[in-house]
Amino acid sequence: MKKLIAAFGLTLLIAGCNATTPEKPASLKAQYEVALKNAQAAVEKAAAVDGEWRDIRWKKSKKRYLPSAIKAAEAGDYEKALKLLEIATFQAEAGYKQAMEQKNAGPRF
Amino acid sequence: MKKILTLLLSAGLMTTAMQAVSSPQEDLEKFRLYYEQRFPGIQLDDFGNGPYALDANKRMQWESMEEFPPYEEYVDKGREIWETPFKNGKSFASCFGEDPSKVRVKYPRWDSKTQQVVTLEGDINKCLKDNGEKPFGWKKGKIAHLGAFLGYEARGQKINVVIPDDPKALEAYEEGKHFYYAKRGQLNLACADCHVQYPGQRVRGQMLSTGLGQTTHFPVFRAKWEKASPDGDGMGTLHRRYGGCNKQVRARPFKAQSRQYRNLEFFHTYMSNGLEINAPGYRE
Repeated sequence: MKKLIAAFGLTLLIAGCNATTPEKPASLKAQYEVALKNAQAAVEKAAAVDGEWRDIRWKKSKKRYLPSAIKAAEAGDYEKALKLLEIATFQAEAGYKQAMEQKNAGPRF
Repeated sequence: MKKILTLLLSAGLMTTAMQAVSSPQEDLEKFRLYYEQRFPGIQLDDFGNGPYALDANKRMQWESMEEFPPYEEYVDKGREIWETPFKNGKSFASCFGEDPSKVRVKYPRWDSKTQQVVTLEGDINKCLKDNGEKPFGWKKGKIAHLGAFLGYEARGQKINVVIPDDPKALEAYEEGKHFYYAKRGQLNLACADCHVQYPGQRVRGQMLSTGLGQTTHFPVFRAKWEKASPDGDGMGTLHRRYGGCNKQVRARPFKAQSRQYRNLEFFHTYMSNGLEINAPGYRE
């Protein structure tokens, strides 16, 4: 009986430890790769409805968040890259939303 | 009973949908009436002078500028381009006809063969390509010089864009109309926000012009472009200006002569039907 209780207690302990052990954070590089894919998809989605904003990737923009993020990642600065991708994704999603909201825009005097 | 209700509801919805799409002529009448009521006392053709029709001081400055207009040398350059034969011995007259004063008024036009809007610049470059010449750039330089000459020759003639009763042509017109009224870019502004809602107001040092008459003076000589150009050539096409406007509201500009800008030009110029061509113009 004692053995059974001990085994049960051990099982509980192991299970408890597993549940509370925080997941190992993904490396910045891995986070960047996921964020880049998301940003690129969001930009393409906005562009498909003519809703892309100026500073995401347009060649004459001084900001160019998406290409700048790629450049930062290539230089190993993943933190900067992630920040830039966050802006690019936000702008792309906002551009898409705007285009959808303006779908029926017409004369207003 | 249910069937009757459904039928009535469908009929009602269809009527509403049909009413929502107004004809180009109806759009034009409402557009013009709006400006005439908002700016009483301004003659119809004067809307083609943009901010100089709205502000007396600006008008004085502009009139003194017009005594020695900075676009004059580019009109001369355009004349030279028109008269210079291609390598094959032909010239622009072989594409556009002998009389340069009759060219500008035909544009933009609907091409039923290609089912798209054709602009003057589009046909200029087509003519060059058809004759084995290298096409011009779309936004400035020679294309704007030739446009300035053709505009100058056409001065005084009325804008007369024809939208044929062709569903595709109407679709292009509607797309252009939608573009004009749809907010875009990070600043969430439509062409109409500045030029329908707020003409006469200032954006920094510039006065916003009315949408009515905006296309009559293109290609245009802009002081801003003159400053940015290494050789002081301030001439530019309408699509160059469209790109600049989109850039200013922080939207990604479309390419000059893209479908979006050609359709916008179709709608935008149609809205100025009946106004005199006064190209090339001068703007700040």
